[in-house]
Amino acid sequence: MGEAIVITSGKGGVGKTTTSANIGTALALQGQKVCLIDTDIGLRNLDVVMGLENRIIYDLVDAAEGRCKVQQALIRDKRFDCLHLLPAAQTKDKSAVNPEQMQEIVETLRPEYDFILIDCPAGIEQGFKNAVSGADKAIVVTTPDTAAVRDADRIIGLLENEDIEPPKLVVNRVRSDLSREGNVLDVEDVVATLAVDLLGMIVDEEHVLKAAHKGEPIAMNPNSRASLGYRNIARRLLGESVPLMAVEEKKSFFSKVKSLFGIKA
Amino acid sequence: MTNNNGNYVTIKGTKEGLTIVLNDQCSYQELLEELKKKIEREQRLFENGPQVEVRVHAGNRYLSKSHEEEITEVLNKTGSVRVHEVHSNVMTKDEAHEAIEKATVTSVTQIVRSGQVLRKKGDILIIGDVNPGGVVEATGNIYVIGALKGIARAGTEGESHAVVCASVMIPKQISISDTYFYAPEKHEKQEQKPAIEGPGYAYVTGEEYKAIAFEETKMLGHYLRSVSYT
Repeated sequence: MGEAIVITSGKGGVGKTTTSANIGTALALQGQKVCLIDTDIGLRNLDVVMGLENRIIYDLVDAAEGRCKVQQALIRDKRFDCLHLLPAAQTKDKSAVNPEQMQEIVETLRPEYDFILIDCPAGIEQGFKNAVSGADKAIVVTTPDTAAVRDADRIIGLLENEDIEPPKLVVNRVRSDLSREGNVLDVEDVVATLAVDLLGMIVDEEHVLKAAHKGEPIAMNPNSRASLGYRNIARRLLGESVPLMAVEEKKSFFSKVKSLFGIKA
Repeated sequence: MTNNNGNYVTIKGTKEGLTIVLNDQCSYQELLEELKKKIEREQRLFENGPQVEVRVHAGNRYLSKSHEEEITEVLNKTGSVRVHEVHSNVMTKDEAHEAIEKATVTSVTQIVRSGQVLRKKGDILIIGDVNPGGVVEATGNIYVIGALKGIARAGTEGESHAVVCASVMIPKQISISDTYFYAPEKHEKQEQKPAIEGPGYAYVTGEEYKAIAFEETKMLGHYLRSVSYT
């Protein structure tokens, strides 16, 4: 029986979809059977980030309304043994699905997977309610800025009213250089305000943008620190205890010498 | 008007002023009639004397708001009498419930998060934080064991002696009765500093221009004692 985890944030643009895609990928790399569900009906893009947009025939709304079987709507990712995507509909809106239908879909999928990751749309309306209804766990994504933390706080408050385990936190786009100078919140400030368990943090890297552009989740690239962050999250979800990664990159001797002379490392 | 032999209303003089004891067995109409008559009869007595404070004791009779007003009006007509209080041994269940609510401290163990509103009659004790965007409202005092980073409204029904207490005082806004405190906007100040270092409480100060001031929690007892004398 699989676990259904909703990935949510309240605020838009903090990296819910990227996080969903990468945690899914990282879990699949660990040999887990993973199903991703995109619930952002009308504004779907998990399929684009995963590079799986071309083979979509049926979507979430078709499955919810019984026009096809749930299994028929799934897109198989050929790069992994078992990573499937249930795409959102692009032509409808959030009201096309209700929480009961979502629950039903999750329950149909549950026996066949180890993890079902539900990518939640931004906002706290119908789309959020749909996404949360089928889940038994939640991951809240935030970035270290005041507005995103405020919305994450709101979302955690709403999740506390749901029949769901206390949510875990992922802090995305961590910039050590800025927080060291006190220009943005650091991860500890965020965790202190939200008072929930930290599941992991992802450093801000251009690799992530480049990977999303290519339709290839960053978690597949073993040489990136962001990728390592996602892989660590996957291992923590599997019950391993992995220490938090140091935010600051270890500088090589040469780059230290270079920066000493004012040359950009 | 049978049986009206003047036993329903008794006027007694005490060291605090006059006490008017009302019989609680007769009908309200009879009582009011007699009170009017008695006051008329004693009009001379009241007229020239100095201002007299009067306490009305209704015994075991329930007096509604309108009855209370009626009695007060009859007495105030004399001109030199001021009704200090109308006392009765009885109250309705609703009033009793309200009195209990106002006297209780509701303790809540949770973080009041952005968008959440915690509203209670009486005092609130929060074991946890009040995050930015969260609101706590009480008709009495608010005590936060944790950080107050959101909005606290104490004395929402006009109690201006109410206080807001917090272990860490970084509120965005505090209101006590109708007096407000706003934290400076971010651009007005480089650093977001607490309103007071360490555990503190907020209270209303000033006579003509009221404002909210902050003081260390250890001084709270002092403040409450000074307030109870006024």
